[in-house]
Amino acid sequence: MQAFGSGAMTNSIHEMRDADCVFITGSNTAESHPVISYEVIRAARRGANVVIVDPRRIPLVEHATLFLQVKPGTDIYVFLAMMHTIIREGWADATFIAERTEGYDEFRAVVEEYTPERASLMSGVAVGDIEAAARIYALGERASGTSIYADAAPENGGRGHSTILYAMGITQRSNGTDLVMTLANLAMLNGQIGKLSTGVNPLRGQANVQGACDLGCLVNVFPGYQAVTDAEKRAALAAAWNVETLPGEVGLTVVEAMHAASEGKVRTVYVMGENPMMTDPNTNHVEKSLRGLDLLVVQDIFPSETAQLAHVILPAAASLEKDGSFTNTERRAQLLNPVVQAPGEAIPDWQITGEIAARFDAKMGIERESGYWYYNSSSEIFDELATVTPIYRGMSYARLAGEGLQWPCPDAEHPGTQYLHAGKFSRGRGKFNPVHANDPAEQPDDDYPLILTTGRVLYHYHSGTMTRRSGPLDWRDPGGYIEINPVDAASVDVQDDSGVVVESRRGRVLARTKISEHVPPGTVFLAFHWRESPANVLTQDFKLDPVAKIPEYKVCAVRVEKV
Amino acid sequence: MFKLSIDGRIVDASPGANVLDVALANGIEIPHLCYHPELSVSGGCRLCLVEVEGRPEPTTACGLACAEGMEIRTQSEQLTAMRRAIIDLFVSDHPLDCVTCDKAGSCLLQKYAYEYGVTETSHEKIIARTLYQDDNPFFIRDHQYCILCGRCTRVCEEIVGASAIEIVGRGFESHVATPFDGPMIDSSCVFCGSCVQVCPTAALLPVSRLGKGREWEMDRVKSICGYCGVGCEIEYARKNGDIVYAQATPDGPVNGEFLCSKGRYGWDFVSHPDRLTHPLMRRDVAYELGLTDDPWELPTESPLAVENPQIEDSFVPVEWDTAYDLIAERLAHTVQNYGPDAVMGLSSARCTNEENYLFQKFMRAGIGTNNVDHCARL
Repeated sequence: MQAFGSGAMTNSIHEMRDADCVFITGSNTAESHPVISYEVIRAARRGANVVIVDPRRIPLVEHATLFLQVKPGTDIYVFLAMMHTIIREGWADATFIAERTEGYDEFRAVVEEYTPERASLMSGVAVGDIEAAARIYALGERASGTSIYADAAPENGGRGHSTILYAMGITQRSNGTDLVMTLANLAMLNGQIGKLSTGVNPLRGQANVQGACDLGCLVNVFPGYQAVTDAEKRAALAAAWNVETLPGEVGLTVVEAMHAASEGKVRTVYVMGENPMMTDPNTNHVEKSLRGLDLLVVQDIFPSETAQLAHVILPAAASLEKDGSFTNTERRAQLLNPVVQAPGEAIPDWQITGEIAARFDAKMGIERESGYWYYNSSSEIFDELATVTPIYRGMSYARLAGEGLQWPCPDAEHPGTQYLHAGKFSRGRGKFNPVHANDPAEQPDDDYPLILTTGRVLYHYHSGTMTRRSGPLDWRDPGGYIEINPVDAASVDVQDDSGVVVESRRGRVLARTKISEHVPPGTVFLAFHWRESPANVLTQDFKLDPVAKIPEYKVCAVRVEKV
Repeated sequence: MFKLSIDGRIVDASPGANVLDVALANGIEIPHLCYHPELSVSGGCRLCLVEVEGRPEPTTACGLACAEGMEIRTQSEQLTAMRRAIIDLFVSDHPLDCVTCDKAGSCLLQKYAYEYGVTETSHEKIIARTLYQDDNPFFIRDHQYCILCGRCTRVCEEIVGASAIEIVGRGFESHVATPFDGPMIDSSCVFCGSCVQVCPTAALLPVSRLGKGREWEMDRVKSICGYCGVGCEIEYARKNGDIVYAQATPDGPVNGEFLCSKGRYGWDFVSHPDRLTHPLMRRDVAYELGLTDDPWELPTESPLAVENPQIEDSFVPVEWDTAYDLIAERLAHTVQNYGPDAVMGLSSARCTNEENYLFQKFMRAGIGTNNVDHCARL
């Protein structure tokens, strides 16, 4: 966002199959976004190079041409060294840098310090592999076959199209913002952005996480990423919503709110379809905070671990039971249709929120025009949100029918936007942010000698409330396990499928072992789906990314002991 | 681009395109079983035979590269006879029990047997592959219906990248198998059901649809998957309002015909008995309000430490009005005594755009705080 001026996948999913190089880092694509992995498989079968940088030997490595298995938290050295190599070897796209970007000289000075040799020492990846990854990505080299893109032909410059895919392995880090900016730098350095099958593509993890961000469920922005600190935007929104003023201070993120709650500063939490007892870092602290509230309302489809602590639980309809729209990771807003009836008295969330808002007004003695919080349909809400959200302004239910529309879609004639930054970045010139490497906040030591990294498995989703109640999925993956390398398993004297205690400075969980060479020695992996082995009891909440406020789920120090 | 003629119609083709692709793209039907537009060409079924002007023998359209000025005929007495002979061979080892078959109505072999008037085989009927495998709750494999078209093995290798199955054995023993015929769960199968999706017959069927109704008794609704952020379109086949099975269609703007195991099979949670069906109030709050007579305290034990928590132990059902009033009252109390920033709203990446918009509008324009967040970071 700071580099290009917008925070979303720059390109579209279908373009990946035509890429000449797919560069994947911090994304276990085949398990967390399986259908996107099908695009990567297609690209690989057509002769693209697939380069993967990850601490774990993820399933897609089977289809990769180059795999750089980094020690957790050291990938940034590899990215910086790739750029070092690219500049040194003259592979950078000088025209693109000159015409489309700013801040190059300062950035270059920083990158000079990060040699492949230094990266190799930090990450455990061979120098030759770092240099090969740099060349393949920079030049968009194929493993075989010819590119469909004309500018990849030798007579036209010979630079193939390279696309970057990343996910929470990059963002759930205490330097996540730095990492994202580094990937943006890498793309700009080689002009691998603003064209088909290129770009910097964060794969969003949940059905409507893109939409929830787009529509302003973030502490610092109104719908459409309009800053709450911008007085003009505030005034415009206040006028649209017919209120005198709107708050102008950035709010508390979920993790900050848990700290504020334990200090008594936050007294009431209204949760719509979330399960912080499973998904937020340092669960023991979260639980204390939630228990101390004056009011905890949980609106959900199942009695989640968080709902167990609520004062009031409200039954909501599931996405299969209502209409509305979701926006996917490639910025495509698409319509839902009700497939089955909601059970009992469960109703769509918007009806519940509207009613709570109206009754809150009544208690506060606030008078508004009648029907202010009451809508007749999702479509009516959509029409309102389109008027205040510039990137959605041209959308309506009539236009979303069929294939949906990709934002930005600023007016009713606009066809939507397949890929961003063609010709020009949202912010004008793309900005090189000079970024230094930073190490994870918590390093292993004698007491806690292993690095825990968390994530997902193919058959489960998030806190498991839905998938663990699905017959086939639960059959396939019925219980939690911690992946541990044979070397580490031997050193704590455990076999496959034995019980272990995993302990960090925050707490301890019990888990079954799965001995696997997918994790390197010194690293263990535990998904956060399992209520019987809740990974977030272990994760740290003391150091967040300073800008994005994301917790460092991907690195914390633990010890594993035999039960 | 260049031009060629199919059944007298002049159509455009680009270099490298095959005749079957171009015909189908122009709405000209040529029967085909093993061909699938997303998969490599196999040419095994021979059903897409066409005649080419100037060539003595018919040839398969799927394996025929288009060329400038080519003249193609897709219908003739010769072609009809040849296709009928092929279907005749297919049904010689395929049960014609369409009256009870779950695939009836969407089976491609049935469609072509109907179109070419093949009621029974003229050969000796030998059902060679009698293997029935139901080793997982996602799909069954009923090999007697398999026509060895190889769509399943190709999709598994070429799209999904799992390569869990292949055609093994020769002659009547040949069949689609996991390594060493082991159970599906021991193979590299990821249970995405793409093989089930592309299977033209009843050889692969979702477990959920077995015996649950005929194709023509079901209606179909499309919606967007509620799991990850890819935004796959899923078509749900329903009977009497209940989902019978889920599949994808070529029209899916993001995913086409392909889904993962969660999207294709993970929808049954909606009818799980744990679903919340009415507003609930915690017992201590209900007692304070005089709704129950039994005093109660929230156990100090973490909900995560309880093996199988029962919601009824801690909560009582209440009317919506009771729930709403308590919420409004306490929210107002918080705002009046501690200010709007003492309220935190957590919205959801599983809720719709409309719901998230309204939620943040309530927090900002209603409560007056920017404390609104969701699990984008988590």
